[in-house]
Amino acid sequence: MGGQAVNQDDKRALELDFCGMRFATPLVLLSGCVGFGEEYTRVEGFSNRDVGAVCLKGTTLHPRLGNPPHRVTETPMGMLNAIGLQNPGAHHVVREILPRLDFSETRFIANVSGSTVEEYVEVTRIFDDSPIDAMEINISCPNVKEGGVQFGNDPAMSARVVEACRAVTDKPLITKLSPNQTDIAENARRCIEAGTDAFAVINTLTGMAIDVEQRTPIIGNNQGGLSGPAIKPIAVLKVHQVYQVCRAHGVPIIGQGGVCSAEDALEFLIAGATAVGVGTGLFYDPLLCPKINAGIAAYLKRHGLSEVGQLTGTLRLNGQTVCA
Amino acid sequence: MTHRDTLLVEEGEILGHQAHPGEQFILRLKAPRIAQRARAGSFVHIECHPLLPMRRPLSIMRAEPAAGWIELLYRAFGAGTRLLSAHGAGTRLSLIGPIGRPFAPHPERPRALLLGGGVGIPPMIFLAEEMRRRGGYSPLVLMGSEVPFPFTTRPSQILVSGIPEGTIAAMPLMDDWGIPSRLSSLQGYPGCFHGYVTDLARRWLAALTPAQRGEVEIFACGPHPMLEAAARLARDYALPCQVSLEEFMACAVGGCAGCTVRILTADGPAMKRVCVDGPVFDAATVVF
Repeated sequence: MGGQAVNQDDKRALELDFCGMRFATPLVLLSGCVGFGEEYTRVEGFSNRDVGAVCLKGTTLHPRLGNPPHRVTETPMGMLNAIGLQNPGAHHVVREILPRLDFSETRFIANVSGSTVEEYVEVTRIFDDSPIDAMEINISCPNVKEGGVQFGNDPAMSARVVEACRAVTDKPLITKLSPNQTDIAENARRCIEAGTDAFAVINTLTGMAIDVEQRTPIIGNNQGGLSGPAIKPIAVLKVHQVYQVCRAHGVPIIGQGGVCSAEDALEFLIAGATAVGVGTGLFYDPLLCPKINAGIAAYLKRHGLSEVGQLTGTLRLNGQTVCA
Repeated sequence: MTHRDTLLVEEGEILGHQAHPGEQFILRLKAPRIAQRARAGSFVHIECHPLLPMRRPLSIMRAEPAAGWIELLYRAFGAGTRLLSAHGAGTRLSLIGPIGRPFAPHPERPRALLLGGGVGIPPMIFLAEEMRRRGGYSPLVLMGSEVPFPFTTRPSQILVSGIPEGTIAAMPLMDDWGIPSRLSSLQGYPGCFHGYVTDLARRWLAALTPAQRGEVEIFACGPHPMLEAAARLARDYALPCQVSLEEFMACAVGGCAGCTVRILTADGPAMKRVCVDGPVFDAATVVF
């Protein structure tokens, strides 16, 4: 699957509406993997036009240097990272970076991060007054001491952050959910009540790798977030669980976690995702997106489907479900 | 200044893959487009095995644009490089490259002192060859290793003043190019200086006249303590020094900020990406 050319019919079949935004394809480049949207465009053959949207690097109110090295390490079929939200601050992003982006190519989504509810609100307000197309509320970053996953693991706190951000913007809000919590569906329900327009499911899982000779964690931050193919089955299940809540409300999901092929992307769509995030997979193959697009288009044709949206949530469970 | 050139994704075909003692390998790949654009200090992000989720960054040791190949020297010490070492001639591996800000020698300092340690040797060989092609430089290449050198050493035919007596072992390729080189090790290899490569460099620098030293620029790549010693050496003699740094790397195109190192800038400390802000940095700005 993959490798075929995408013709005009395929292009139409891959288009979709996501919270009122037109996505050229169901693919979304994930926050933290593609800088502020420019870096990968220097790779010959790469184009932001191959994706529906690009999520920019997590942005806080003030600049952050991030965590000490090592920030990444490979693990079986995955990688751990603890970047620590290195970013130049929301004002710099809006003033210096957004004007350089080509908004005719794709949709750009800001990733709003913070240590306090007030900071989330202030960053949301700054991006609200900018050309950014949408905002992703990052209440699931596992690599910062305050905020991030502390908020995301508590449904009440998650809802508070969403509600506060909702109050200051009419732009689409996408809440990025953490897999490091007991009941992701309950959290999703609370966030919908609080006014989220969509979800990104999932952020990384917390993990640790140890240098046995030194007896120290390999990652400078001691623990990091696990991504890559190793987490894909977890992510697919979480999308399925969150979809059970979202379906009735028409709230779309960006399914993400270890996507490296068209088959992976199809799994997420069938589980309930409307769009599919690509992150770690890009590190191995920077030209992955057109291959996934071609693979999805071929699948749609083979199954007699005229648009990718028809796939969302078409999972047929085997007999009795094992999960509520 | 960030590296902003276009990065190529090219299928490289293995032309040769030589094993050397100490689990060192020299890999020659046919990759004409990368060979054309490679510069001393740049690297490729190479696919080691389809079942590994990450590529590995490896410095380019030589590039021959006319013949369309590049050469990499690496040590197999982890899962990725071990799997890489198993590939034979004809195998095709995906490469992203050439990546990174290359060395930028100052022509007004023609006495280039090139220091390479272990797997940091490759970019020094590339830089020496680049200086030879460009002309106008008189480089001295000093290399240190604690495993046997990945080439057969031989007594140099080129005399260098200021080098201790008995330190005669050299890299034959350098001699062939007319570039003086000397080797160092703590392992007692014949003809090698017994000590660190930076100690040997200090001896050579001490023997120069102040006017001669004013023409020196240091270039270094190797283990962290060696680079720190090179930076100290440069500071002691008030010499410019460019170092090539290494760090664990994920994307290698500047997207993930996984490979950062702490660098002093005019605006204060910053975390700079080894992949596109480096790998070559001014040693005076590196927080070791």
